[in-house]
Amino acid sequence: MDFVQQVINGLAQGGIYSLIAIGWTTVFGIVGVMNWTHGEVYMLGAFAGYFLCIMGMPFVPALLLSMLIGSGIAMAIDEFGYKPLRKKGKMAVAGFITALGLSTFLRYGANAVFTPNPRAYPDVIDYQLIPILTVGGKTLTISSIHLTILAGTMLIMVLLELFIRRTITGKAMLAASQDMQTLGLMGANSEVLIKVTFAISGALGAAAGVFVGTIYAINPMMGALAGLKGWAVAILGGIGSITGSLIGGLILGVAENLTAGFISTGYKDAIGFIIMIAVLLIKPTGLLGFKFDEKV
Amino acid sequence: MKNDSAASEVLTAGIESVPADVLTNTKKKFALPEGNSKWFFGTSGKTTFIGAAIFLLAICFLDSFTPVKVIPAYVKHILVSCLIYAILALGLNFVSGYIGQTSLGHAAFFGIGAYGTAVLMKYSGMNFWLTIPVAACIAALAALPLAASALRVKGSFLVVITYGFGEVLRYVAINTDSLGGSSGIPGIKVPTIFGIKMSKIGPTGKEGYLILCFLIVALLAFFMNRIEKSRTGYAFAAIREDEIAAVAMGIHTKYYKILAFVISAFICSIAGSIQVAYSSFVSPELLTSTQSILILTMVIVGGRRSIKGAILGAGLMTILPEILHSLKDAIGLSFDPWYILYGLILVIVMRVRPQGFWGNSSDA
Repeated sequence: MDFVQQVINGLAQGGIYSLIAIGWTTVFGIVGVMNWTHGEVYMLGAFAGYFLCIMGMPFVPALLLSMLIGSGIAMAIDEFGYKPLRKKGKMAVAGFITALGLSTFLRYGANAVFTPNPRAYPDVIDYQLIPILTVGGKTLTISSIHLTILAGTMLIMVLLELFIRRTITGKAMLAASQDMQTLGLMGANSEVLIKVTFAISGALGAAAGVFVGTIYAINPMMGALAGLKGWAVAILGGIGSITGSLIGGLILGVAENLTAGFISTGYKDAIGFIIMIAVLLIKPTGLLGFKFDEKV
Repeated sequence: MKNDSAASEVLTAGIESVPADVLTNTKKKFALPEGNSKWFFGTSGKTTFIGAAIFLLAICFLDSFTPVKVIPAYVKHILVSCLIYAILALGLNFVSGYIGQTSLGHAAFFGIGAYGTAVLMKYSGMNFWLTIPVAACIAALAALPLAASALRVKGSFLVVITYGFGEVLRYVAINTDSLGGSSGIPGIKVPTIFGIKMSKIGPTGKEGYLILCFLIVALLAFFMNRIEKSRTGYAFAAIREDEIAAVAMGIHTKYYKILAFVISAFICSIAGSIQVAYSSFVSPELLTSTQSILILTMVIVGGRRSIKGAILGAGLMTILPEILHSLKDAIGLSFDPWYILYGLILVIVMRVRPQGFWGNSSDA
């Protein structure tokens, strides 16, 4: 019973990881850069949500506005960080180091502006334990906050999936992840597509940040580890696969909670990397990913 | 397309240069390569070494002859840090420079060296000088799984594997009681050389380490200079430029990739051992990803595959934060401006000079 309860507790955290992972995987699939700044967008999104909630805005508008701010930040990162390198065709290593630099800059810049003290969101969601099932005198419960996060995550994923499958921009993004050059020849504006990709990635990252703020205290350093876990999840699920990211995120969230509950809290953060390394070595394409063909 | 031509150039250069040298200059069969034979302003490697050695000895022992202390211990401390980081940057150069794979886990090898030396000295009372090769061999063994993963994945995927490797080791160090947990192992004995304590050499006690690190850096520079134009160096170059072409040419890519990782780990571990002896203390701080990122940026900013570039990068990235720390104290800022500036420096360097200061423009 404890086991099932731990699994349920892990699901909400898993949903947050999935949101972060999708931000990574869309940008990597289309622009081909490991967007190291994603963890920082997530952190800034959490701070945006914090300040909006402090000003007395209700939770849902605050979430939506933070997502908008997150997309703005992500697009600005692309405009000032990656675009000049893309124009020069030096994305390979220079792009990665630029991402590292921007991420350090944003993280410590936020540290200077917001101070390193942890901050807690005001009570935006009423906390209560909702019973699910009673077996043998023990009751499985889920907290209202976790339920909200899980529902919000699922809603965002469904909307994203609809956007990609049903709109022309979404279809173009899907095509871009397969062959950007041919898509350009078909008359698609690749720069606009890239901006849309960054906007979506930023919005999802910020949403994850706001969600996490409702459970844990936030601080400027939170993006470093969470961002990397997002990348681990993206790899676990398979790069380029949204469903894969969703499943991977839930697996990681549950695995972390089980590790903390049954093995040792000290290794909670390490388990994600251990799973990821194992997956990469056994099946480098991830759970649902496809193989990137190496061109000769 | 561009890669293919570069690869074939490297490969043909590797094949043709040897017979050409033999024919035209039979006495100097192994002439030094053009690129690295000239060091600073056209001086040869030997002259640079002698010049640097004299400069270093002057810094070390100037105070022994003057009544007042001219060079503060703080300056010597920073120089030792510079040289330790230079060893690390040169070690990482094997992976990030020669075979062109980005690694964000090299602090792990630094840490293995440090913890290896600390544990061996503390629990088995082994001589410091003996712990260096032992710890380095452990690090080299630990590099094998990482090298094995590099055979299966590369690029962005390898980055995250190396990062994960470093993080996992850090959690192991934090959670193992015999390794001192998050506070580390304090009180490592000061090593002796020829019966003299290292801390008793010179006026401030840092001179012994300064000379030791300098000798290792010089030895590494020499070793890497030679390896670049050896059969192994050409194999590395071929793998870096185009792995598929390298396999097609009959190069045993798996062997050379593992070799690069093992050598790299070995060298980084030596730096860790010296760091422990120098600070007589080891903590999981050495294993953080920030440390790995710092080492990588030293290599990239200085210029990949460039020996002097790695040394310059290490110096720059060690001295700048110290200057900024003192600036911070002088102005009275509430935060440390170094990391903010560090991020900006990386972005600007990549924009202006993607190959780094002394890098090869072909591999930007």
